[in-house]
Amino acid sequence: MGFFVRTVLGFVTRPYETVRSTVERENPLELVFVAVLLSGYFALASLVKVASFRPFLLTRQFIVLAGATGLTYILAVSLFWTAGKLVGAEGKLKGLAVSWGYSLLPTLTWFLATSVLYVILPPPRTTSAAGIAFSILFLVFSATLFFWKATIAYLTLRFGLRLDLGKILIVLAITLPILGFYSIGMYRLGIFRIPFL
Amino acid sequence: MKTTTYQNFVKRWEEVTDLPPQTVGLLTPYYKIITRRLKVMPWPLLVLSSVCIVIALYVILGSAVTLIVSLLQKGF
Repeated sequence: MGFFVRTVLGFVTRPYETVRSTVERENPLELVFVAVLLSGYFALASLVKVASFRPFLLTRQFIVLAGATGLTYILAVSLFWTAGKLVGAEGKLKGLAVSWGYSLLPTLTWFLATSVLYVILPPPRTTSAAGIAFSILFLVFSATLFFWKATIAYLTLRFGLRLDLGKILIVLAITLPILGFYSIGMYRLGIFRIPFL
Repeated sequence: MKTTTYQNFVKRWEEVTDLPPQTVGLLTPYYKIITRRLKVMPWPLLVLSSVCIVIALYVILGSAVTLIVSLLQKGF
């Protein structure tokens, strides 16, 4: 547990070194802690989405969210690995998978904060001064987490697939449209409106 | 003790030199300036970039940014 906390702090304060060492370790057991955190979030999100204490609906919602996230994770790692191989990647699948698992932490943080804010300050936002101020703060928060996610994702591809910037851009050009269509599918199914990548 | 320190040094050296440094032609110095700030404690740069983008968005869209936030808030 202490090791996991140190690794998470590493992702926050020293992403470059931490991603590199995470890929080197190739230890899938580390993802157990990430899975526990995700499960905690899915339980909370199910409560917020279902908005009533009905065990069957809550369980169903939890399974849908967890299943969709697991599927998205497998799809993303598979796509990165396959696209990486097409451009000559020489990385390690386990290292890539573990590091990408950690990259779900910014995603989890954003989704958790958004779910809590949905309860405390439910949308829609008004165009009053307070509404605009909140909107600006929320957008800054969202963009910051997005950039953190992008940093970790880039480093994951850099070390996990051992690629340079040009090839990483090619990998992204191949994978992002597919993930985009997949996300539209998730949206249409009403599972995630924003992709849980 | 010296052996351990040396072994640690070698291990660290191998880690650091595992991948060749990234270059982007004429833009390499600028790339290095940005990535240096992202490697350790990236938050000041991340927050500053976000603030600049959101201010630009507010200047372009005005109070319509509240619509984007309303959509994002329903996005989980």
